[in-house]
Amino acid sequence: MKILICIDDTDNLDSIGTGQLLEDMCAEAENLGLAKGGFVTRHQLLIHEDIEYTSHNSSMCCEAETEDLQAVSDFAKEYLASHAAEGSDPGICILRLTEGADHEKLREFGKLAQTVVLKKADAYSVAAMYPGVLSLTEHGGTGDGVIGALAGVGLRLTGSDGRVKGKIRPERENETLTVREFCGKYPVEQVMTEDGELLPEDTELCFTEPTKAVMADGTVTLIAVRDNGRWIPRPHKGKKK
Amino acid sequence: MKIWETGKRGRLFLPGRDAPEAAAEAALECGGFRRDYEEECFAEQEVTCYNCRYRRWTRDSFECMRAEVGK
Repeated sequence: MKILICIDDTDNLDSIGTGQLLEDMCAEAENLGLAKGGFVTRHQLLIHEDIEYTSHNSSMCCEAETEDLQAVSDFAKEYLASHAAEGSDPGICILRLTEGADHEKLREFGKLAQTVVLKKADAYSVAAMYPGVLSLTEHGGTGDGVIGALAGVGLRLTGSDGRVKGKIRPERENETLTVREFCGKYPVEQVMTEDGELLPEDTELCFTEPTKAVMADGTVTLIAVRDNGRWIPRPHKGKKK
Repeated sequence: MKIWETGKRGRLFLPGRDAPEAAAEAALECGGFRRDYEEECFAEQEVTCYNCRYRRWTRDSFECMRAEVGK
């Protein structure tokens, strides 16, 4: 079965990041034969003085495949409890993905968490609408991480929020390749303009600088921009938060 | 020109989010720059407060939390 795992508020100023912790957790789960994790997405939540985040208030989410939800869930919670940084307020959300399920309330909660200050009670009340398929738990501190953890799941479910963790780097300088070749070579499924138009597969791209993929239409997407008459992947650096 | 003032949690960077030169200069003067995780670094300059682990984003700018470490 497929599941989503999202964690938040696991770090402090001296620890590894939440994204790294999630990747490490998935790697360990795979080593133990419990689950196979996919790519991690970062979801930006509201920046507000009333919210206790370390530096950027984002949560990290990944999809995983497992045969034993209970074992993965137990492992992930234990891992989070023992690896979250001192002084953090970690929370974790695990959702079992089932065909035809209505995730609208989760998506709404995710979008809300990008615009208003929410409380733990808000998160638990939405979580309660998904009995038997969603687990939302806190593992230390104030436990406020449950808000971001639930929001991250909701935003991942929108299919059009967040960046994929990790940079994509050109294999060689000024590499030129078609969209089809790019998608075959790098971890990207489609290439889109900033206006949301898909670039045809035979469009040439000049890959000059490291870039990052984003989620769009539920698909790992590269955003391309025009530069001196050619298409280039949107550079990661210089893009505002 | 004054670029810092006391903020709610740390030192508030007065030039805001769109002052790359001031942020790079401030990081060089600080000497305590510590690069944030890769996924959180957006500024073109390598050494800049905008890419520093100790900056805490606010709506319009960031606060430097470096002095808070170890407290």
